[in-house]
Order: sequence, then C-alpha cells, then structure tokens
Amino acid sequence: MATRQVLPLRTAVSTSAGLASAAINFLACVEVAEYAGGSSAWIALLVAGGLIVFSASNFAELSGLYPSAAAIRVWTRKGLNDRLSLIISLVYASTVVFVIAADAFVLAQAFHAAVPAVPGWLWIVVLLGTIAWANLRGIRVSGKIQDINGAVLLMTLIVISLIILGKTSWPDPSQFFHIGGGTFQAIALGVFIYVGFEWVTPLAEEFDDARAISRGMYIALGLIAVAFGLFTMALTAIFPHIKALESTMVPQLIVGQKALGIVGFWWMVLITMTTAMTTFNGGLFTASRFVYALAREKALPRRMAHLNKHWVPANALLLLAGLSLILALGVMATGQYTVLINAGAGVEGLVYALSAWLVFSLRKREASKPRPFRALGVPWIALGVGAVFLLLGLGALLTTTAGGIPAALIFVVILTAVMTGYVWFIVPRLKSVKSSNSAVKAEPEETIK
Amino acid sequence: MLLTLEQFAEACNTNARLRQMNRDWSRTIAILPTDRPEVFWLTSKEGFIQAGQGPVNAADLQIRADHDIIVAVFSGTLSPTEPYNAGDLLVKGSQDDLMRLDIITLLIWGE
Repeated sequence: MATRQVLPLRTAVSTSAGLASAAINFLACVEVAEYAGGSSAWIALLVAGGLIVFSASNFAELSGLYPSAAAIRVWTRKGLNDRLSLIISLVYASTVVFVIAADAFVLAQAFHAAVPAVPGWLWIVVLLGTIAWANLRGIRVSGKIQDINGAVLLMTLIVISLIILGKTSWPDPSQFFHIGGGTFQAIALGVFIYVGFEWVTPLAEEFDDARAISRGMYIALGLIAVAFGLFTMALTAIFPHIKALESTMVPQLIVGQKALGIVGFWWMVLITMTTAMTTFNGGLFTASRFVYALAREKALPRRMAHLNKHWVPANALLLLAGLSLILALGVMATGQYTVLINAGAGVEGLVYALSAWLVFSLRKREASKPRPFRALGVPWIALGVGAVFLLLGLGALLTTTAGGIPAALIFVVILTAVMTGYVWFIVPRLKSVKSSNSAVKAEPEETIK
Repeated sequence: MLLTLEQFAEACNTNARLRQMNRDWSRTIAILPTDRPEVFWLTSKEGFIQAGQGPVNAADLQIRADHDIIVAVFSGTLSPTEPYNAGDLLVKGSQDDLMRLDIITLLIWGE
C-alpha cells in the first residue's frame, strides 16, 4: 500500500547534515585543533567520523525496526525499561537546549564582532525571541529553506577553506600526521562536530523507503567530514601557532575574511545567522513536540500538553526557549562555552555507545522482527566501537576548564540526578492522578482556520 | 473493530468544533491490525469523518498495531501517545497528521 506524501533521499541528507551543522561547530573545530596540536586535527575528525559510521548504522537498524518520531524513547523502552528510557530520553533531549544555547552564544559573538555597538546579549534575546515568537505563531522555516541553508553552509566551508589552503604556505608535511598527548581528547570533541546527524531518525515515518534514513546519514557524515575537516585545516593554516587560536571566538569570520576579504567576512556573518536560526527553529520545533508527547503520556505536567490557537505546544516551547536563553546568557556572562561543547559531546558519546547495546539487546529480544537495515559488525565490532564511544564520552566529560574543574561532568551528573529523581518520585504521582474528562480544558484556545 | 471506528466517526461528526477544525483536512487513514488480515479505513472530508472496511489504494496515513490496541485507542480507553511512545503503535505518514489525530482523540475524550 502506498502512502501519498513521502520524503525524498535529498531531505534525509539535508536534514541529517543540517541538524549536525550547528554554528557552535566552528568553535568546536578550534577546540579540536587545540587538543590535536594543529595541522593534524583532520585525523581526529576522520577517526571520530569513522567511528560514527558504526553508530549511524546502529541508528539505521533501530529506526528501521521501530520507525517512530519518538525514536530513542521507543528504542530504549523496548531495549531497557520504561524508567531508564525516560531518564535517558530527557537527558538526551536536553542536549537540544545545550546546542541552542551554544549557537546563541556563537551568534552573539559573530554579531558583536560585526556590529560592536550592540551588546552580544541583546542579539541573543532578540534572535532567540524572534524564533520562539515565530514558532508560537505556527510559522515554520520550511524544509526547503532548511535544505538550501545546509547545502550553502557546507559548500561555503569547502570553497573558502580551499581558497585559504591555496593562498597559504603549507606547514612541514610531518605536522599533518603529528599525534600528540591530546589526540584522544581531540577525537572525543571531534564527535561533537557530527552531533545531531541522527536527529533525522524521528522523520522515519515520513519516508516510504526505510533505507533512505541510513543512506541519508552516511552521505551527510561524508559531507560534514569534508566541510569541517577542510575548515579546521584552513584554521590551522591561518594560525600555525596553536596558542593564537585560544582567543578566537569568531573563527568562521576570520576564515571568511582571509579568503574573500570584507565580502567573505559579511558572508560568514550571514551564514552564522542562518545556521544558528535554523538550529533554533529545528531544535525548538522537535523538542517541544517531544515534551508535548511526554506530557500526553503523563510523564510531564499536563500543562506542557497545552496547545495554543495555532496548535503549537506553547508552554513546552516557552519552557525550552526560556531554558536555552538562561543557559546562553549564563555562558555569555562566564565565557564558559566549552562546557556546553564538552557536555554535548559527552552525552552524545554515551548515547552512541548505548545505540550499540540496544542493537545487540533487541537482536536477542526481538530476533524475528523484520529489519530493513542491519547494523555493521554486530555483535563484537559494534560493541567494541560502543565501548570506544563510552570512553570518548567520558573523556569529553572529564575535560577540564581553565580552573582544572571537570565542569561538563558536574553539569551532566547534576542534570542526570535531577532527571532520575524526577522520574522516580514525580512521574509516578503524575501518572496516578485520575484522568478527568477535561476535553474543554485540553482544547486549544481557538480552532484552527 | 468496524463498530468502534464508526462510533469514533460519529463522535467526531457530532462535535461542531471538531467539524470546524477538520473542514480543510482531507485525508485517508488506513488502519492495519497486525494480528488480523483485515484492513479498515477512516476518511476525513470537509469536516466529516467516515469509517469503513476494505482495501485502500493510497492512504495519507497508515496505522499499524494489535487489534486490541487499535480498539482501545479509537474507543477512548487508551491515549494514542501511550502505545506510540512504547513502539506498540506504528505510523507511516506525516507527523502533522499524526498530531492532528492525537488532538482529535484529546478533544473527544480528554486526557
């Protein structure tokens, strides 16, 4: 039986690449280059990408087995249990808030560099507020615009990086293959560059061909590896002395300017803005629907399922936008943006490790269920790569900030403890509240036009 | 199951606000019980819902679940979100249409 509306492979590629290509990736590239020791940063990105191919194949199998917008909530519920699933889903969903906050910080830095008269925090408030308002009104950036934005970003990175590499004198070839003491950390943080590639899996229901998800993710990973790998090489060509990179908060603008002068500078300001706003839009849209779904199953307060007159889960959206704003302003005030990168890389590393375990577990528990795609190297290679991701995730979390404090680890442990307490003590109370047949209260303020 | 779907359709059609809400939502929904060989359908056209049994050529939305789950969802004893988040109710189609169906059940039966 055919479904009338289906998405093409192109959308799988652009969604996967677009969601992974956040503006914070520019600063993550700087961090990777610092740990890798300069020109050999591409090795860290390549190794991280190679490992992520295995993770992508795990997500492809899970998505084919249970194609659902609830994605990780369903897979962990089937492969583990309901409580663990809820804790993991809530922590995982909070990485969306990390990425939005981090992108808001990058956007503020870029705009402040371009228009110094306006303080960075004001840009954060205005631009995040604009996207939240548009979402509340039910206005969405169309899929086509997101597709174009993703393609333009990746093409821009490739072109300007090649121009820089063509202009600049290359370092000694041995430096391209230098393996230093920070290589493990560089690989762990290299994972962050690809974070979000798997957020295409919640769209699995909208593809007629289940293999489109796996193909889309693989192509996107290749494009991200090439574009951000070249960008990192261009960065290290501009800054042969790694220490000079530490103070760079707008590396993409510097690369743009070095490649194409003032036009390149403003072009990269524009690219930063569209990339960050696409992240805000996609992140708020997806996460608010996830919060809505959890509220509908009574895992979150019912007010989170409230829909406004535009059929948007308004309270969920405002909560997420508010949390992102607070986090972004906190990062702005402290300058500790690396905490978000390390926390995001850490949580994602652990989730990628979990994906290997879920594939293994579900192959045993539900051996007879049809799988349109089978993960690579199951069980031993896949579990081995899963173990590597576990170590990389811990490595990213253990990365210390300037004062020698593993702030990302502390942040994620507190977050997980709060979520665990919530799931253990609050959710049972919410679920035990007797349903009132409150159709009127649950009804949106007005009907849709 | 057909009786359950017909009662669901009637509940939709007697709700003026739902008719208003669905007046521009024309869809064909195929309902496929995974444990039985039968196929059912719902159509929405100009605000009115109809239910029936038999093959469907091109559905906008396909819903697959065990017979008992489908009956529970369309009779209002189970929120569709619960089996959906548990992986026991699978859907093929647009997420907007799925959310619309969830809202319809919410408006008829509440939480």
